[in-house]
Amino acid sequence: MATNPSTYSPSQSSERKQLQQQRRRLFQETDWTRFDGRGFQQCRPAFLKTGAASAASGSAFAAFGATKVIVSVFGPRESKKAMLYSSTGRLNCNVSYTAFSTSIRGQSSDHKEYSSMLHKALEGAIILETFPKTTVDVFALVVESGGGDLPVIITCASLALADAGIMMYDLVSSVSVSCFGRNIVIDPTSEEEACQDGNLMITCMPARNEVTQVTLTGEWSTAKINEAMELCLDACSKLAEIMRSCLKEAASAPS
Amino acid sequence: MAAASTAGGSGGGGGGAGGFGAGDMEVEAYRRLFPLPFYERYLQNYVRPDARPLHRARDTSVALGPIASAHGSSSVKIGDTTMLAAVKLEVMTPSAEAPDEGSLAIEFHMPPICSPTVRPGRPADVAPVISKQLSDVITSSGMIDLKELSLISGKAAWTAYLDIYCLNSDGSLFDAALLSAIAAFSHLQIPLVSLNDDGRVIAVSGEQLENNSTIELVNKEKRKLSFQSIPFSLTCVLHNKYILADPTAEEESIMETFITVVLDSMGRLVSFYKPGGSVLVHSSTIKDCISLTKQRMEELQNILEDSTSAMEE
Repeated sequence: MATNPSTYSPSQSSERKQLQQQRRRLFQETDWTRFDGRGFQQCRPAFLKTGAASAASGSAFAAFGATKVIVSVFGPRESKKAMLYSSTGRLNCNVSYTAFSTSIRGQSSDHKEYSSMLHKALEGAIILETFPKTTVDVFALVVESGGGDLPVIITCASLALADAGIMMYDLVSSVSVSCFGRNIVIDPTSEEEACQDGNLMITCMPARNEVTQVTLTGEWSTAKINEAMELCLDACSKLAEIMRSCLKEAASAPS
Repeated sequence: MAAASTAGGSGGGGGGAGGFGAGDMEVEAYRRLFPLPFYERYLQNYVRPDARPLHRARDTSVALGPIASAHGSSSVKIGDTTMLAAVKLEVMTPSAEAPDEGSLAIEFHMPPICSPTVRPGRPADVAPVISKQLSDVITSSGMIDLKELSLISGKAAWTAYLDIYCLNSDGSLFDAALLSAIAAFSHLQIPLVSLNDDGRVIAVSGEQLENNSTIELVNKEKRKLSFQSIPFSLTCVLHNKYILADPTAEEESIMETFITVVLDSMGRLVSFYKPGGSVLVHSSTIKDCISLTKQRMEELQNILEDSTSAMEE
């Protein structure tokens, strides 16, 4: 037996792959309940809470099924010394993962792609003119990754911004869908994402009916895209309702 | 400017009548401009701005199992300081010197969400210090018998990766981190494993066991770690003659001398840490800190027991 230079997780990767292939086949049939018992057009139960971290100006915790995210907002505070003068405020975003967030340990640390996507998704919603010369920092930590991470991060971040009292045109909510052959499945888990044909994520401000970000990857037909977008936008506005009631609850509760 | 104040308590109440220079200056402004005089006026009355007596620690809570995907996990709150710890087990080949021992890898993280002073890309200076202190205390206290992490002598053993994340930083980070580490290890459930044909260790689920009785398990008994003794710690901040147990971030920043005492459950001293500071300490103060740690240890033992029984219900 060769000595392994590093450690490995004892779960069976080969069996997992088989399972995935099985899933893939099953997904192509029309009548199929998902592995967590949801219907195709059913989102995971969402839990949202604001104000968990006292060190931050505002914070929010979001748990969508197995995906758990914490976002803290700092500022508006002095911009870095090296920054040039700016008459509008700046937004600085960072997304990182915990070492235990994924099933394979140690894929943690900063996630540059998500950081920049989070920035772009929020930028349009924040009234940057209200805090000239200063910076608002939005830091997200993915505690557990269970699929649909980016939409959860964006949703949670906009809630944290609201908790911090940063002026926004509207709350930003985000939902993704996966495409499997003939089927469209909303709010996919990481198992589903691993075998999807395509993915669509929409970030929008439901009250203003404005979209801040759309990403589309993989194989799609035009008709499907329309259907998926309708589905996402509908889910976004429902999610925004939950966010609003969460904020109302926090505001009315005695601190 | 809407910077968040670190202390959770109300700024009201306070020193009461008269005093120097305060006049009708707002309490919150006075606190920021003259933090030390502000605190001294409280300390004279043996009370702290958050209404605690000097020797009392903040409310502490422990929850087990917040991370479903880890083998053992815990979240700990001491006041507003919040820690999240998770243990994941992986298989390694033990070293030739210790063929029947597993190993521990402990890391303490301070992500940018925990404090306004931590920025992404620039890790906090204290994080590696606390990391090192934690591994020193956990290894030297002999809490975990590394032989219990052995699977097949000389061939396979567990490496326990313990990652602790500070989610909100408000003082006494080491105490909270150590408590979360202990709680995560006490929650640790070692998975059942067997050997496959290639000699690799694979996990066995309950279902597989029922369907196939020929699977030979490597670790039938060793599913939980038995602790020899458990280390508990208390950090105190010193100012003149005053000893303030379990300081908040504000207290830590104003009064710079601190002492961390770690005792184990048999009452033995595991670690004593006083990294300089402006206050020089008499041996009587050291004794006071140790006896405070003893009291705190009893509190923490009860809290841990409660969390375990809450988990079993």
